Amino acid sequence: MRRLVAFALGLVLAVALSSGVRAQPKSQITIGIGSEPLTLMGSTIVDWTTNAQIENVYDLLFTRDPKDEKIIPWLATGYRVLDDRTWEFTLRQGVRFHDGERFTADAVKFTLEYIIDPKNKTHYLTRFKPVDRVDIVNDYTVRVHTSEPMPVLLSYLSLPGPFILAPEYVRKVGIDYASAHPVGTGAYKFKEWVRGERLVLERNPNYWAGAPKIQTVGFQVIPEFSARLAALLSGQIDVMKDVPPQAVDTVNRSGRAQVRSTVSSRINYLAFETLHPGPMQNVKVRQAMTYAVNVDELIKTVLGGQATRICGYVSRFDSGYDASIKCVGYDPGKAAQLLTEAGFDPKKLTLTLDTPSGRYPLDKEVSEAIAAQLGKLGMTVHVQVNEWRSHLDKIINRKAGDMFFLGWGPDLEPSGTVGQLFVGSLTYSSFGDPRIEEMIHKASVTVEPKANAAAFRKVQEALVPLAPWVPLWQQHDLYGVANWIAWRPRPDEKVWMWEAAPK
Amino acid sequence: MSRYLLGRLGQAAVAIFLALTAVFFLVRITGDPVILFLPLDVQPKDIAQFRHLLGFDRPVWTQYVEFLGRAARGDFGASLRYRAPALGLVLRRLPVTAELAAVSLAVVASVAVPVGILSARYRGTVVDHLGITLTAAGQAVPGFWLGLMLIWVFGVWLRWLPVAGFGGWTHFVLPTLTLTAFYAAQIARITRSAVLDALGQDYVRTARAKGMREIGVLVRHVLKNAAIPIVTVFGLNAGQLLGGAVVTETIFAWPGMGAYILNALLGRDFPVVMVGVFCTSVIYVTMNLAVDLAYLWIDPRVRYA
Repeated sequence: MRRLVAFALGLVLAVALSSGVRAQPKSQITIGIGSEPLTLMGSTIVDWTTNAQIENVYDLLFTRDPKDEKIIPWLATGYRVLDDRTWEFTLRQGVRFHDGERFTADAVKFTLEYIIDPKNKTHYLTRFKPVDRVDIVNDYTVRVHTSEPMPVLLSYLSLPGPFILAPEYVRKVGIDYASAHPVGTGAYKFKEWVRGERLVLERNPNYWAGAPKIQTVGFQVIPEFSARLAALLSGQIDVMKDVPPQAVDTVNRSGRAQVRSTVSSRINYLAFETLHPGPMQNVKVRQAMTYAVNVDELIKTVLGGQATRICGYVSRFDSGYDASIKCVGYDPGKAAQLLTEAGFDPKKLTLTLDTPSGRYPLDKEVSEAIAAQLGKLGMTVHVQVNEWRSHLDKIINRKAGDMFFLGWGPDLEPSGTVGQLFVGSLTYSSFGDPRIEEMIHKASVTVEPKANAAAFRKVQEALVPLAPWVPLWQQHDLYGVANWIAWRPRPDEKVWMWEAAPK
Repeated sequence: MSRYLLGRLGQAAVAIFLALTAVFFLVRITGDPVILFLPLDVQPKDIAQFRHLLGFDRPVWTQYVEFLGRAARGDFGASLRYRAPALGLVLRRLPVTAELAAVSLAVVASVAVPVGILSARYRGTVVDHLGITLTAAGQAVPGFWLGLMLIWVFGVWLRWLPVAGFGGWTHFVLPTLTLTAFYAAQIARITRSAVLDALGQDYVRTARAKGMREIGVLVRHVLKNAAIPIVTVFGLNAGQLLGGAVVTETIFAWPGMGAYILNALLGRDFPVVMVGVFCTSVIYVTMNLAVDLAYLWIDPRVRYA
């Protein structure tokens, strides 16, 4: 009996002292992430999880200032618009890839040609389709010719990501090998990839923008968010994205980590489906709805203040942001009056609201609260909760209910938001109007950035009386970050560890 | 005997073929895979172009015939999401699932069978009541909840064990406990009722009358006669575990096959789903065959033509 107890105690002691729960050495950051990267080859897949990981290995030609999301030079030092179908970029000198080869115009040409080649089936093909030809002027100057005016080219080159690939390396080892052993110019070099488990990167001491202060970055795959939260609290990981609002207190009281929040460039909105027959095709009904939803109350009670209201159709970081658009005040009396004018008796109105669950902060809860608010006018609103992919399917096939909840982002330039969501034939749109579409088309071919932004502001001002949405807010991204790390989350959702340092 | 085996192999091939066919058509009902891969700002005509590049614009029957032809040669195509051969991606995860399954099955067998035997042998006593209560709890507690509770107690609060991931033996403890709770309960109950049945037989009374020790009675006579239902359920459980305990794998970030195939299904990664169906069908068919062959060993009265 005594031997049994001794054995049991010994076992417990062994388990308690064994590895696996010791805090990481301070020179390593481990980020808990929901799924593994789909490939390590840049410029291939549009997927936040993939890009968040590989953007530590690669660089873009331009990047965004984390404070205001303005475009700043990165691997490129500047640009000129030669005519409405030609861009010229000057490149930074003295940059080398991780395998030692020089970064020159050849790399830019190689990367863009890789993207537009249908054989590679990259998801960026559709974005960069107008790119016709890339000419090397000299080692550090490159010209991009487009088949039609492409004002968004600059913006696309500043977002994940047409990451610049290493041409000699990829030509030598082939795409398949390079997709699992990436070489870029970035702050971190590839060390190890165990599929489904972890990606490990190590410091590039020769990084042209200054060597990173963290020695090793590891991304550990933990699909279930509560397990990720537990891993943050136990010290197994140091950073996690999207801490649910209910868990914020738990993290802040843990003594190991704090919740750091940032106003995101991602917007959430309630769209009215006008592309199939229904009450929402009547503009007065839509206007009534915008008065009947109390957005401030939603932010206060459902989100606990963790959202920043928007009155227009883009985020404050968007170059087309229009500060002159005022928010619609909550006015149930006016809503009831408008419905009557439209010929609808609210008590006889039954509507459906489609929502995803868990895709955006408290999306389902917000939808249910909106349904309750609309119910105060006497109408019946059914909330239909969809699995994420089914939700997208319904919207694309115009099979959604009368309204649907959706988010969009990172929203940094208007042609990707206003230009996509208010043209009736486009994929995720719920609204079409010939006059608006004409204005959008004109704005889309205005290459000069200031004029482009002004044109899109005019579109938004024209949309306000047509009430296609109830604009909701920019969500707040909540990151759990270990106390020993100095790192500020970014509005564009990049998890770029070059910006991190031990405190 | 070899005729029997040949017949079983033929049946297995038919079963696998039917499973693949059914899933091939059913999974295409879930919708268009192409839009899930493209950026949200994609234009409809670009979706059509991508669909064409991936071959999804051809008639379903054409796709099916081509799939069968390639599958017969072991080529299941490339994953739509990962750009790598689907078969390799799934098979790489099989050993990970198999390790967890093997450890869990070993714990189940070594815990559940003795508990079941003791419950039956000491029926009506405290031992039996304890056994019944534990097994009821094991079957009633949802695995999801149990897993998360174990993580919080042993991973966060006590910090004795790692919370997630695949690694050394410490990583096996919590997922194994989560899995065995349910399966052990099931096996214990089956064992108890089968042993109760056997204990009432004449040969048991004879063995005890001969002066045989109780442990000998239980193992050599009772267990062997009670084995058939136990082995049957055990085989089913083995098939389930090898197919991948999806919930446990997800909670514990266990990089196994089950969660992987589920994600492929949700993400409409058709090639990976087909490989998954193929692998799990093969596993189930093999476990069934193993169980049937085990009957031959357990019960000499069983004969296969």
